[in-house]
Amino acid sequence: MSSGQKKRNFQIEAFKHKVVVDPKYAEKTWKILEHAIHEIYNHNASGLSFEELYRNAYNMVLHKFGEKLYSGLVSTMTFHLQTMSKCIEDAHGGSFLEELNIKWSDHNKALQMIRDILMYMDRTFIPSTHKTPVHELGLNLWRDNVIHSDKIQTRLLNTLLELILRERTGEVINRGLMRNIIKMLMDLGPSVYQEDFEKPFLEVSADFYRAESQEFIECSDCGDYLKKAERRLNEEIERVSQYLDAKSEAKITNVVEKEMIANHMLRLVHMENSGLVKMLLDDKFEDLGRMYNLFRRVPNGLSTIRDVMTSHIRDTGKQLVTDPEKSKNPVEFVESLLEKRDKYDKIISLAFSNDKTFQNALNSSFEYFINLNPRSPEYISLFVDDKLRKGLKGVKEEDIEIILDKVMMLFRYLQEKDVFEKYYKQHLAKRLLSGKTVSDDAERSLIVKLKTECGYQFTSKLEGMFTDMKTSQDTMQGFYAAYGAELGNGPTLVVQVLTTGSWPTQSSITCNLPSEMSALCEKFRSYYLGTHTGRRLSWQTNMGTADLRATFGNGQKYELNVSTYQMCVLMLFNNADCLSYREVEQATEIPPSDLKRCLQSLACVKGKNVLRKEPMSKDIGEDDAFSVNDKFTSKLRKVKIGTVVAQKESEPEKQETRQRVEEDRKPQIEAAIVRIMKSRRVLDHNNIIAEVTKQLQSRFLANPGEIKKRIESLIERDFLERDNADRRLYRYLA
Amino acid sequence: MGVQKDRVRFNVGGRVFETTATTLANAGRNSLFGAMFDDNWDLQSHAGTTTTEHFIDRNPDCFAVLLDLLRTGELHIPSNVPEKLLYREALFYGLLDHVRAAKWGSFDGNMLRLARSVRGLAPGDGTAIRAGPDGGCCVAHGSMVHVYDWMMEEHPPISLDYQRVNDAIWVDSDNVVISACERLGRDEGGIGLFSSLTGELRYKFRVTHENQAKSYTGGALSFNSDYKLFSSCKGRSNEYGIGVWDQVTGKQVDFFYEPTGWSLGEADKLQWLHGTNCLLVATLFPRKDNCYISLLDFRDKSMVWLWSDIGAPLTDERRVRDAIAMEETRSVCVVNEYEDLGFMDLRRSVGSVRWSSRSRLMKGKMVDEPCYPKLALHEGQLFSSMNDSISVFSGPDWVLTSRLRNSYGGSICDFSIGGDRLFSLHSEENVFDVWETRPSPVM
Repeated sequence: MSSGQKKRNFQIEAFKHKVVVDPKYAEKTWKILEHAIHEIYNHNASGLSFEELYRNAYNMVLHKFGEKLYSGLVSTMTFHLQTMSKCIEDAHGGSFLEELNIKWSDHNKALQMIRDILMYMDRTFIPSTHKTPVHELGLNLWRDNVIHSDKIQTRLLNTLLELILRERTGEVINRGLMRNIIKMLMDLGPSVYQEDFEKPFLEVSADFYRAESQEFIECSDCGDYLKKAERRLNEEIERVSQYLDAKSEAKITNVVEKEMIANHMLRLVHMENSGLVKMLLDDKFEDLGRMYNLFRRVPNGLSTIRDVMTSHIRDTGKQLVTDPEKSKNPVEFVESLLEKRDKYDKIISLAFSNDKTFQNALNSSFEYFINLNPRSPEYISLFVDDKLRKGLKGVKEEDIEIILDKVMMLFRYLQEKDVFEKYYKQHLAKRLLSGKTVSDDAERSLIVKLKTECGYQFTSKLEGMFTDMKTSQDTMQGFYAAYGAELGNGPTLVVQVLTTGSWPTQSSITCNLPSEMSALCEKFRSYYLGTHTGRRLSWQTNMGTADLRATFGNGQKYELNVSTYQMCVLMLFNNADCLSYREVEQATEIPPSDLKRCLQSLACVKGKNVLRKEPMSKDIGEDDAFSVNDKFTSKLRKVKIGTVVAQKESEPEKQETRQRVEEDRKPQIEAAIVRIMKSRRVLDHNNIIAEVTKQLQSRFLANPGEIKKRIESLIERDFLERDNADRRLYRYLA
Repeated sequence: MGVQKDRVRFNVGGRVFETTATTLANAGRNSLFGAMFDDNWDLQSHAGTTTTEHFIDRNPDCFAVLLDLLRTGELHIPSNVPEKLLYREALFYGLLDHVRAAKWGSFDGNMLRLARSVRGLAPGDGTAIRAGPDGGCCVAHGSMVHVYDWMMEEHPPISLDYQRVNDAIWVDSDNVVISACERLGRDEGGIGLFSSLTGELRYKFRVTHENQAKSYTGGALSFNSDYKLFSSCKGRSNEYGIGVWDQVTGKQVDFFYEPTGWSLGEADKLQWLHGTNCLLVATLFPRKDNCYISLLDFRDKSMVWLWSDIGAPLTDERRVRDAIAMEETRSVCVVNEYEDLGFMDLRRSVGSVRWSSRSRLMKGKMVDEPCYPKLALHEGQLFSSMNDSISVFSGPDWVLTSRLRNSYGGSICDFSIGGDRLFSLHSEENVFDVWETRPSPVM
């Protein structure tokens, strides 16, 4: 511009060359992308430039052609999927699944590549327009155009079901292919898997197993059937792990359980000659375990087994305790109980996986039948007696404990624990006094067990017996320390001082002791009373023993181990050759029944007949005469002469024990009533009965009739009164 | 060392860059680089030979920054690269998440720095600011809510029938719920769920009373991890109380009616307590003459804990302006208008305030246009706003450990913590501040 020129007015004009995007821009770009998608589906992607395609897709979104891009994608992909669908439809027979699998993996690969190109659209355009993301879109289109196409949907399902059926009947199928196809259905969403496969699969399986179980049950025994069922169950579980969705496991096992087990449960359990009872009888641990594991899976399965087992144990147990043969030998009786218990313990631990409910059923069954025999408490005590006398010799300490624990287990089942206590006390007294007990530790261990089970009062007297034994030992030592020199060569006396009340002593008449002994006894009495003031001693001659040295006619010397009564009888023969029954009775004053037994054991037992009886017979008559058997010989120098005693209680003795038990129960029932009424003040009859029974059940089962009698007795003694308005109510009088 | 096999050469907008496939792998599969070097695309075979060059038609300066980010995990933006430009490029490559993660570190109230101040367009005072879960925020002004993503890019604003907004809450990074006043006689206002991206209304949460839909005013909002949404509701007659909706279906599932002599329907604050499965409801002065704070158990419709200042001698020092439950110490923290903190024991069924004078630091320095203090709790740190600053209290005895202040914009009328950021909204100008913790240094 030259300076001379006139200034020109500037004119501002609109910018003429308006920037417009090439109107065909979108179409052109889309063509490039569409072409790329075609190439990808045609396995021809190697010539494509990723960078260029990515940039083109980006630009389309940037220039607001996202919608066009998206709808183009939908229609292009749909086109390819329909072509694929056609190919799959045309596949013949067996190659159908393979073709489907190949096309599925092709589609997946293509989908991934398309998603790569359209990544920017996926990230920005799709969220802001709430459209389906590319990957999900690809799956949906596959589902709608391929899996749900008319010619594929049912064919696919039938092919899958047929393959599974073939596998169930033993054929080998291509599991890898199955896995891929099922995985595809799962990838398409849980509803596709469930509707297009799982539901019909479960229905067909139910039909299959219904028919098969019917066939099995007709031709196999219980054990075999269970084996087959178990195998089928495991097969299905394995199938799920191999090629189905893990969530199907519970559903398909449910079908097998229902069809093969639940529907045939009762028939299986009661199957003749092979059912549950037979398995229990034969200790078929494996079969029982299988039954347990299978039945556990179905509702009421275990209770079915448990009920049958319970009634079987009750029946056989009842037979056992009421069998008169068994009752003859208490030790055998208890041993067979223990055997039975061991048997079922083993079954429960090996086959029923230590199920608590089964253990409870076992316990309640034992409790039921053990108490059917009223002599069970006595027998159990006798069993313990036998074990503690001789049965435990040479047995290791742990094993003793095991036996004692088992005894305690039986003890727990007893309803009349007080009866057991009575017998136990008697038997323990005999063991202690005769020095027959094998192991002091075992005795004490059992007492500790009883104590933990039943409390202090149950065992306090038993413990008192042990204390007496110990004190007596000390007393004897004291006695001989004081008089030892003075006594010289006379007979040796061992006294056991028993506290009245702690021991099951019967008041008995003291017999006449030989003069040598009675002098010694008097000495002891004065020694004892000298050291303990205010006490009284009375001799229980019915319970003692003695060792005698005897010389027979031929000069043979023997040491005789006899009871105190026997000693008294034998000592008479130091001064007489022949004595009649009456003379013996007069001299000794032993009660007739005891005397008879005593003479019987001295004169009538072969090999131990130190006396001779006229006339010779088995029984003792009032007119019999006795003399020393000069011809007595024995291979042993020490001869033990037992008393003929019934080890088991005789009927009248039993009655007596029973009576004493009943007597002892009375104060306990009364104490319980008073305790309850003291806290409750007013209570009606039924509730008292219930509460008393509950309080006493750890010791015995109180008889309602007896409780009623006790209540009446308490009313008489003004502890209680009947309510004036309601006669069924009792009131406590303080 | 042998010959490096995984070298990759790029030509970006004319500038040549060389890097390794290992470095690019840091971008992840969901990025341009992840896709580009996937087996499907068959590019791996060319890699290693420096003769092939991958051309990318993009800005080389930004590429350099992003490549450096992939190499070191640190983000350094040179002054000649505008932040927005970098974000756009990162979005192209699919690296925006990487940029976001490198920009600021995990939240610590004692290590905050002011990242930026954003000036809004809206007129009038702000009502509330709410931090979103991924670093964005929304600001309620009058009847509008403005939504910003973490890049402080503004999205289309939200309004509920142009009614006055009372509260807003992010239920997730894509959805915002706002509560607004009702418009008499029409089914307008109430509570609605909006897309944070597009601002469109997804659905409204209705209140029905005796099978009849009612129009109501939505108040303070809260939600729990069971996808339940809670709001205080003020209807025309009986619909005073706390409404409960299913966030996914939008259906009303429960309603806790306000007992007589108590206030729930006009609450200033709701807070869901995850440990005890209860909802804290606080109605405070000056909305009401008295303050009512209670803990609701919806399972048996009971108030398991409550406190009110009815009948107490009311001095300004005793007036509670905000409250927050602190589950770890089983207590409720309250604040008065002088920023004195007080504490109440939640283990006793009836609360009483134990004021702590330790924090009384602002006494006597009241500014011309005061804003009532607000409280927030974040991972064992207690925050309280007062005038133009925010105090940070830490430790079991709540010792004052930091103070955030920005002299621009006047008093702070609301603030919110979330997405590892703290947002504070100022009253005088339409300005809000973004506070971040520096990413932890590499060296």
